[in-house]
Amino acid sequence: MRSDPDLAHAAAQGNEAAFAELVRRHQGKVRGMARRLAGSEATGDDIAQVTFLTAWQKISTYAGGTFSAWICTICWREFLQWRRRQKMEIEFDETAEIIPFDRSADQNEMRMDLTRALETLSEAQRVCVVLCVATGLTHQEAADVTGWPLGTVKSHVLRGVTLLRTRLENTNVA
Amino acid sequence: MREQDAYKDLSDLFRAGDNALPAEPFTRQVMGNVRRQKMMRRLVVGSLGLAGAGIAALQLPALLGEWVGVDRAVTAALTTAPTELSTAAINQLSTAAMSNPVWLAVAAGAAFCVFAVSAFERA
Repeated sequence: MRSDPDLAHAAAQGNEAAFAELVRRHQGKVRGMARRLAGSEATGDDIAQVTFLTAWQKISTYAGGTFSAWICTICWREFLQWRRRQKMEIEFDETAEIIPFDRSADQNEMRMDLTRALETLSEAQRVCVVLCVATGLTHQEAADVTGWPLGTVKSHVLRGVTLLRTRLENTNVA
Repeated sequence: MREQDAYKDLSDLFRAGDNALPAEPFTRQVMGNVRRQKMMRRLVVGSLGLAGAGIAALQLPALLGEWVGVDRAVTAALTTAPTELSTAAINQLSTAAMSNPVWLAVAAGAAFCVFAVSAFERA
């Protein structure tokens, strides 16, 4: 099986099949990340689409390293652009409020699952948990992607994971 | 212990959800957009190129008009310029030689060197 850098190199030469293989490999991760960040499946998939289109345009700038981290950086930027367009500017800090997602009454009555538990975290915690826990980036990669200090990312992940576990346990008990 | 090992259970849960997403429809959609974008770019670049070629073709008659007589002017300049230059050089050289004959020897040496180099270059 060809490695990601090999495929990216071929894609940079204009090989569409190689790029399609990269999309196939990473679509789950990118869509999952975008959906969790945006809090909506449809919006998340739109962001993921734009992410891969941007990746195709900029594939020649991929200079090796983890392809996941590279594509997640693009996804993160596309998410921020989408947020700017939505005029939902919220400071990413520990005091940030929890963003309420548009949920129907039926969905609100549904059992709290992993996704919903994630949505109860603060914005910054959710971003860090999505990047490190759900997407599988290292703390350093997540810090590079977001531009936040490594210590901040670590502490958000730690607190986020603890809260997530507590919420999931409570759900299971209920 | 790697940092990811501390929450491997949660990562596995998330990954299971991501892996369940059907890849093919999404990939087809992305590649369709990629091809559309590629085609659009070709169209834009091609039409701009054609427009540029059209503008250049319109300028061609004026450009050719400028060329008429250029070869004659160049030929005349090439034939007259060396003569004028050499005349001026000989005048300067003779003036220098009259003031100090050593200059004549220096000029002869330099001319010999230039001749030697050009002879070797041709070989």
